[in-house]
Amino acid sequence: MLGNKQVYSWFCGCFIIMNVFLSQMVFASEITVYTYQHVPFAEQTDTTHQGLIIDIIDEMFSRAEIEYKVVFNPLKRGLTMTKRSHNVCVLPIVRTQQKESDYRWVGPVLISRYGLFSSKSQAIPLVTLQDAKPLSIGTYLGSGISEYLTSFRYQVQVTNDDALNIKKLERNRIDLWAAELISAQALMRQSKIQLGEPELIFHTSLRAMACNETLDKDKHDALVNALNTMYQDGFMAKLNREYGVLL
Amino acid sequence: MQKFNSIYNDVKTLLKPRLALQFLAMMSFSFALPIDVASSEISLITHQDKQPSTVESKDSNELLIKWLDSEFQPSTLSIPQQLEELSWFQNKSQPFKGMTIRVVSERINTHQYEANILAKAFYEITGIHVIHELTNEDDVIKKFSAQIMTGQRLYDAYISDSDLIGSHFRQQHVISITDLINNQAKAYTLPSLDLNDFVGLAFTTGPDGKIYQLPDQQFANLYWYRSDWFAKPEYQKLFEAKYGYPLGVPQNWQAYEDIAEFFTADINEIDGIKIYGHMDYAKSDPSLGWRISDAWLSMAGVGDKGLPNGLPVDEWGIRVEDCHPVGASVERGGALNSPAAIYAIEKYKEWLVKYAPPEAQQLTFSESGDWAAKGNIAQQIFWYTAFVPDFTKQGLAVMNQDGTPKWRVAPSPIGKYWQKGMKSGYQDTGAWTFLSHTPESHQIAAWLYAQFVVSKTVSLKKTLVGSTPIRQSDIDSDYMTERAPYLGGLVEFYRSHARNIWTPTGTNVPDYQGMAGYWWQAISLIIEGKLSVPEGLNTLAEQIDNHLLELQEQNLTCGPKVNKKVNPSVWLNKPGAPKAMMPNEVKGKTLPFEEAINAW
Repeated sequence: MLGNKQVYSWFCGCFIIMNVFLSQMVFASEITVYTYQHVPFAEQTDTTHQGLIIDIIDEMFSRAEIEYKVVFNPLKRGLTMTKRSHNVCVLPIVRTQQKESDYRWVGPVLISRYGLFSSKSQAIPLVTLQDAKPLSIGTYLGSGISEYLTSFRYQVQVTNDDALNIKKLERNRIDLWAAELISAQALMRQSKIQLGEPELIFHTSLRAMACNETLDKDKHDALVNALNTMYQDGFMAKLNREYGVLL
Repeated sequence: MQKFNSIYNDVKTLLKPRLALQFLAMMSFSFALPIDVASSEISLITHQDKQPSTVESKDSNELLIKWLDSEFQPSTLSIPQQLEELSWFQNKSQPFKGMTIRVVSERINTHQYEANILAKAFYEITGIHVIHELTNEDDVIKKFSAQIMTGQRLYDAYISDSDLIGSHFRQQHVISITDLINNQAKAYTLPSLDLNDFVGLAFTTGPDGKIYQLPDQQFANLYWYRSDWFAKPEYQKLFEAKYGYPLGVPQNWQAYEDIAEFFTADINEIDGIKIYGHMDYAKSDPSLGWRISDAWLSMAGVGDKGLPNGLPVDEWGIRVEDCHPVGASVERGGALNSPAAIYAIEKYKEWLVKYAPPEAQQLTFSESGDWAAKGNIAQQIFWYTAFVPDFTKQGLAVMNQDGTPKWRVAPSPIGKYWQKGMKSGYQDTGAWTFLSHTPESHQIAAWLYAQFVVSKTVSLKKTLVGSTPIRQSDIDSDYMTERAPYLGGLVEFYRSHARNIWTPTGTNVPDYQGMAGYWWQAISLIIEGKLSVPEGLNTLAEQIDNHLLELQEQNLTCGPKVNKKVNPSVWLNKPGAPKAMMPNEVKGKTLPFEEAINAW
């Protein structure tokens, strides 16, 4: 039979072990979410993360009751890390048939429209995308729209920084810039160059969160359900309105 | 051409007074516009797209003639009849002029023609700007589902496979063409639309008798083979000596296997190049699912008799009772993990490993598409006729100097469980699909574009570009008779009874979008060797059953009522599907091309 002191020590020991065990469980179950500088959807300053994507992540993981942390990385690196490591996701990624079997998906988190912009000094009227076939088009490295245009053999020129395309347009180094509409507006504001309305809004894409394919099924289901409820109860519509995302 | 020029001049003269009448008619029509349409027009002017300069300054008469002359020949209509159709589009589109509508489809040749040429013609003729996006087939389905899930209007119309018919009539997110024509689009339905002329209409009609989608393009999965190699006397002699029957179009899977073995192992090389007796694809990708769910099981004989899809058990192995899906596993009365299904998948894997190029295991549907055109494949059991344009280009290894192909297509062979009266292959109808929450003005403008790209003015030329016929009148035309020798048996197939036995996924599948993903994931595990064929099919059948159980909780029209599990022997001992194991092999059987076509 144990004495009082021994019982106390035994309980204390158990409590410490359980605490360590539980904290390890929480740590092990935490998901690292990669995103990238993508104004106005995801922005990192010295002290904060902000933007529509940051708000979506926060709400989705809270509803799913899953611990997470957000890390900013270039898009290509985020995709590579997600393919290699467990408990890692990246967003927003254009969900396509080619990528479908590489990840476990939660989406759509964002529906984006893409337009072709010309320089402010030159109008290039386009009726169909085919009209842009003889022209050079600037896009962003690793972006879904770059892959889309390349697959149809358009003359695509990629940059590491999408904002550079505005300068390239102004110096006639490209004829058109293919960009996501809301992000394009933000980049134009930043660079203080207004290109006006796009010549053609030519593509719609579904953007989702891509997770490592070993992501636990229960967690995946919880995140999918959380996103569904965010659409059903109007949270997503409200958030999109706040950020000016209207189709 | 001389004949055309003379008609052209006649029509130009005739049209001048007619255009004046049209103008008067148009003016009176605009005054008679219903208020809702007129008001919707106002809101559309504020659309964010820049509108390219319109063609108002051009003489519309010359414009129509320009398109008829430069693009829309040949046609089953006379020039005056074509002009009448185009004028109708010009008039009826007036209330929607200046609008931009968005549609999406998969990226086969037919839709590229629509997106690049027909959308432009429609814009110039009507003033309605169409953004016709092209993407991969799985992406079309994902976008369709996303529009339903989010409630956001991604597109005004989809060109989506008729495989979803079981979902459309149960889930009621899609407005039926029948309702559209009888209600809001009644005044905007082309008088010469001629619904009965569409050969795929049965595939897009629900059990309730309503047409849910309007066919836009149609292609089949047929048997493809090198008719020049098959005709070589030395190969014929060698084959008959070994197998005891002639080298010809295989009528059953045993003959297909024998021919595969013959070319891969016995012939092995032609002109110093390694050749193969079989081609397929198997990379882990959504297209791997279609490879099997597109009627592979029905070709093996998994389902029941009854066209178009087998009743009560269909080509997915799902049993339906009184329109309610009751199960896919044998334990619940389905056939998805039945002996016949196991036989089907074992043959698929065996042939892939033994007779196809090693690269085939790492290819997707689109990557494998042009493989046989390189000239080292003897036959392919499951070949999409949408590839005909890419296989008939001059200079290919599979083309003769005179423009005729060195290959033929014919009805595919059938597996040992197949019985007369069952469907035998897959035929897909990509069809116009409208979601019910789309605003009415956008629905109607998109409906006008849909009718334009399937109109008789356009459809024969579109058929020649994409080899995806949708109209009986085009198939029967003299022009198709002239083109038949250059299309490798495509015309013969569409003029035969076989056309009725090649069908898409049917109405037993209640949620195609939600269930299609299970196929590629399960088959991928089998191909990678992570699960045996029976284990993989047991997993797949259980997933489909569980999905049916989830749907059972929803209030769907003709929703699932899943059977309780019983010992598999209970169902296997009953007549029809699921069928008990058939241990004996059948002897190979072949036929010459003409007889193979006429056999159906």
